[in-house]
Amino acid sequence: MDYLSEDESISMKEASEICLKCGTCCVVRAHFCHVQYDEQFDAKNTYVYNCLGSDEPAENPNIWMCVSCHKCEEICPYEVSPIRFIEAMKSRALELGIAHPMILGEVENILSTGYAFPLTRSSKRQREQLGLDPLVEGAAEDILSIAEKTGLRKKLQRSKEEGA
Amino acid sequence: MRYALFRGCFLPVRLPHIEKVSREVLEELDVRLQDVEGFSCCPEPVGFYSNDRLTGTALAARNICLAEEEGHDIITLCNGCTYTLKQVNESLKANPDLRTKVNEILAETDHQFKGTIDVKHFATVLRDDLGFDKVAMKVVAPLTGLKVASHTGCHIVSPPEIMRFDDPFDPVVLDGMVRVLGAEAVDYDLKTLCCGWTLTNYGDKGAANELLGEKLVSMRGAGADCIATICPQCFYQFDTGQALASRKLGLDFRFPSLFYLQLLALAMGHSLDDIGYRRHRVRDPGFESKVKEVVA
Repeated sequence: MDYLSEDESISMKEASEICLKCGTCCVVRAHFCHVQYDEQFDAKNTYVYNCLGSDEPAENPNIWMCVSCHKCEEICPYEVSPIRFIEAMKSRALELGIAHPMILGEVENILSTGYAFPLTRSSKRQREQLGLDPLVEGAAEDILSIAEKTGLRKKLQRSKEEGA
Repeated sequence: MRYALFRGCFLPVRLPHIEKVSREVLEELDVRLQDVEGFSCCPEPVGFYSNDRLTGTALAARNICLAEEEGHDIITLCNGCTYTLKQVNESLKANPDLRTKVNEILAETDHQFKGTIDVKHFATVLRDDLGFDKVAMKVVAPLTGLKVASHTGCHIVSPPEIMRFDDPFDPVVLDGMVRVLGAEAVDYDLKTLCCGWTLTNYGDKGAANELLGEKLVSMRGAGADCIATICPQCFYQFDTGQALASRKLGLDFRFPSLFYLQLLALAMGHSLDDIGYRRHRVRDPGFESKVKEVVA
């Protein structure tokens, strides 16, 4: 596991510069990246190369489609790690207050209920019909304490200010 | 054999019928499940963990601590939960500096990571702890003649040096699990292609539909009667996602998707009604008659 400091992020940028656009990660059918199905990408402008094109998250709107499957990293013949680059961009976006709204929604959900997905009336009803225990929203104190200490709450505040 | 059950978010919230059958089947296999009060989201890899590694690590560590305090390994029902929890568990065990940093973050929660347990996907428990031979002994209604296309998913196989489950580019474990039930695992093109979860949620839904359509046609072309998954999100893509994609693409078939523990339940003598099949979005009379034929 890596925690990308600023220096390491720069080295990731250097790593991206050795990408030879060979297309192994995105074009070879046996193991290609699923985001390649998006019609804006083709053999010359692959998803991975598109993401590696800018290390500014604001200029990099496609980073959110990465599923963190690691296949690009595993298959790259030149040891480029696109996933690390993309995840570093996502992390920086959160710091800058410009993360994707769905990411912010999920983070807020987890901080307020402990669950990534909203507890709907339908899910409550289904659980009752099936004789399963009701889901309890909780762990809030612990989760908020962790988010305070890591600085996540400040990042969320910044996102609100950016979005205002 | 007792485990702390980490059921995650998606399964209990969106697919409670699969939580129910999973609990029943695992207990019937003598895999005892301990519910642990206070578990939160793992946290989810794409929407949380990959955006804030430090907070994600601390939240995952807190979950692991709760299981450590119960004295049981964690059993998961989801590839994504396994991905986050296993990476964090292995990292904190291997890296004392990181462990110290995370334990400082956890200090006010009264939990401290000690590194005393393991995190295991249910498929790993069936393979490594229980053993497929013991699973096979519980099969009373072999699914002979049923052809199954397996979809292993992404997060259970990568990074391979940590997940240690299967080859990301040539997965075979789930095929073996299908054969344990007496069914036939069919080989098909695009087997390692992602289910398209992030395309549906963060990208172009049309592209996600196209992906799903190609994958389903490939499975169907290989002669499969149904799909087997071991991840709730993948299941959801192949079920609800298929229902939406079929309408858009005009697919002329309906191709049921089953969570592996539902298939196992059928082989253990449960009915389609028992496993919650009626709650699926995609059902197929051809598949249903075949199951009734082979299970009868």
